[in-house]
Amino acid sequence: MSAVGASIDVAAALQAQGGELLSPEREAQVFWSLRRRLLQASLRRLFRTARLRAMLVMFLSVVFWGALYFLFYSGFDLLAGLYPSAVESLYNAFFASLMVMLLFSSGIIMYTNLYRSPEAAFLLTTPARPDRIFSYLFQEAIWFSSWGFLLLGSPMLVAAGVVVGAPWHYYALMLPFMLAFLYIPAALGAILCLLIVDRLGRIRWATVRWVAAAAIAGLLWLGWSVLNGGQSDLLTPRWFQELSARLSFTENRLLPSWWLSAGLLEAVRRPMAGVFDDHPLSESIKYLALLISNALLFHQLAVWFAGRVYRGSFSRMQTEQETRRRTKIGIFDRLLLSRFGGTGRPPSQLRLLLVKELRLFRRDPVQWSQSLIFFGLLALYFFNIRRFSYNPTYSAMIGFLNLGVVGLILSTFTTRFIFPMLSLEGRRFWILSLLPVSRDTIVWTKFFFAAGGSLLPCCGLMLLSGAMLDISWRILLVHQISCAALCLGLSGIAVGLGAKMPELREQNPSKIAAGFGGTLNLVLSAVYIVVIVMLTAVPYHFYLMSIHGLAPAQSERMTRLLGNPTAISAGIALTIVVGLTATFWPLRIGLRAFRRMDL
Amino acid sequence: MRSYGQKLAVADLSLKIPAGQLFALLGPNGAGKTTTIKMLVGLLQPSSGSVRVCGHDMVRQTREASRVVGFVPDEVYLYEKLSGREFLEFIADLHGLNRRDAAARIGSQIDAFELAQFVDDRSETYSHGMKQRLALAAALLHDPAVLVLDEPMVGLDPRSMRLVKNLLQRRTAAGMTVFMSTHSLSLAEEIADLIGVVDGGRLMFLGTLAELRGQAAHGHNSLEELYLALTESEEERRSKSSAIPSPAP
Repeated sequence: MSAVGASIDVAAALQAQGGELLSPEREAQVFWSLRRRLLQASLRRLFRTARLRAMLVMFLSVVFWGALYFLFYSGFDLLAGLYPSAVESLYNAFFASLMVMLLFSSGIIMYTNLYRSPEAAFLLTTPARPDRIFSYLFQEAIWFSSWGFLLLGSPMLVAAGVVVGAPWHYYALMLPFMLAFLYIPAALGAILCLLIVDRLGRIRWATVRWVAAAAIAGLLWLGWSVLNGGQSDLLTPRWFQELSARLSFTENRLLPSWWLSAGLLEAVRRPMAGVFDDHPLSESIKYLALLISNALLFHQLAVWFAGRVYRGSFSRMQTEQETRRRTKIGIFDRLLLSRFGGTGRPPSQLRLLLVKELRLFRRDPVQWSQSLIFFGLLALYFFNIRRFSYNPTYSAMIGFLNLGVVGLILSTFTTRFIFPMLSLEGRRFWILSLLPVSRDTIVWTKFFFAAGGSLLPCCGLMLLSGAMLDISWRILLVHQISCAALCLGLSGIAVGLGAKMPELREQNPSKIAAGFGGTLNLVLSAVYIVVIVMLTAVPYHFYLMSIHGLAPAQSERMTRLLGNPTAISAGIALTIVVGLTATFWPLRIGLRAFRRMDL
Repeated sequence: MRSYGQKLAVADLSLKIPAGQLFALLGPNGAGKTTTIKMLVGLLQPSSGSVRVCGHDMVRQTREASRVVGFVPDEVYLYEKLSGREFLEFIADLHGLNRRDAAARIGSQIDAFELAQFVDDRSETYSHGMKQRLALAAALLHDPAVLVLDEPMVGLDPRSMRLVKNLLQRRTAAGMTVFMSTHSLSLAEEIADLIGVVDGGRLMFLGTLAELRGQAAHGHNSLEELYLALTESEEERRSKSSAIPSPAP
């Protein structure tokens, strides 16, 4: 088609009678007032219509926080006795990995907020400055990408402080430190997002793919190099030394995660006796000032950059058309539609809907890329477990620990992707309503999709973990039973809660996941994981301690009570009962609510 | 011109809408109506050419241009947790109206669009028609010189439709320029001063209703027939001509 220049000119006889264009300060006030109103309206609604639900979520969050605090406290207590300087390496590694995760998550959330949300499109038609719109949407991204960090990080930091008897100002400085730190990766993620979208039209997709592949390969190599090479016994001072040496790259002085770690460690320290010019508090405040000034700088940079490119990149993004791809029937679709469907019979509704879910999953890179990265890193870690030599009691316990990690990662996926599934159908329900498909079938499809999709990778990972740890087939079997209970239970909880409390008007899955239903799902999932892992890990722990003669004298009664085959069998039986209850009870509640729902 | 990847959504589109006119842009699905409207409100930037509203360049002076435009999209966006009144107050604030002025204008819009019954409820409880009326009230709150509407009558009941039609006619009589996209020939016939027909991103016709009728008189029985002929694809045209039997030698 020939390109001919077009011009549109709309004249007006009137002068607009509106006020003047707003100053930046007044514009900021208007958007803050909008934020305040939205928050007030949400809280008012919550406490008026869902008080019980809110209380339950708050209660469970406190329980979750308490359980994490207890776990971290035990860990730091052990560490303080074994190898005190490992705390520094642990802080550096934890905050460095968190920084990378925050960078990516805020980048992804900003992409949705800036380029895919109807709110952004609406605000861009008003006389608001694009940099102000960016700031407003950035606040939301900060919250959505960091609430998990606050929930996970705060019990860890409090536990570390309590173990070493930190002074009061450590606790007072904790929140400012965390908030200042958050802004840096979040702002960098936003800049990255703007940059990629702005330049995307000018660079080839192949380049983007190669860069993404190189980034993933780099990440995997980093994971490999950290885990590879250790030969010492686990949890010995030498093992900690080796681990610290491998994590030394996180001690780079230019990393904001190091500033955070160093600032917190200074805040925790008491002045050395007899040293006149040792002021740990001043040192800590110096690092806080460094973090705050950098947070402000990166925020300003992001706002400035958005002011220059946001409107143009929004326009480009809307008009950038992907190369038209031929849609092919995937191998799984074919399997579901034909082989398992039986020949000559039309595929059942459930199978057809499952094929739809599979197609949506395959065509959403956010879902499969995140699954690939997290499960890939886990597989890498499991492959390298053999590098360390363990005694048999440790290897069995590490197996159970791995089970917990698999469960926790799966729960983040069920919260982020499975819980919002029914809500996301909200605007498409009319299509499903017109079809001869019952609402139960829709809910069951989501469950089968989640359970089927999680069983294969999770049980596979646990098999790998067991093989690498060289554990007995009995424990391997117990791991498989517990893992299946986790997959089915977490899927049941996510689908059941998703059906019970859907957000049918919301189209942004991050917002749905970060809402009350999503938080409740995450907290319940965490409690469920702890219960399932403990049911078999505790009797096995005492059993192995007793047969290897490692049981301490003070826990003799406990060892006798729990460290025997009957207790293990009871644990397995309870795992199955709890697993089935967690699968079908939430599903039943969800199915009933969904049947009655006025859509 | 505005392209979507390799495809040109709008090309060869030269439009000059005089002040105080009600312009209706007609065209089939995918003709480029919404793209044209998005360029007019600053959501899309033309690949080449220019978009000017009241003398302001939409790309270089977006804020100045947006200030004089009121816009109602095909899919209305409202903050569902806010009430209609709160939404109107936010729009008034964004347009820099002082508190007294804003209160007076919000009051008159509530009367004009008959919003009083539900304006203090949260907008998540509104029907499509209620949302549409609230969006129209918000678009007119700052007395814009140009009103841009994308399919404004979709989802409105006959009473609301009449209300909107009367209002648009009154406003254009008072000097406001209205740029409206629609699928409805009858709506364009009823209220438009100037009609444009766009297809495949190109302007196929631009003129008054009388001129359109005049063209219809030459070989077409009705406006509908003329519209269909204007928006007929090349393929359809070819298949029609091949279906006509050639005269015997």
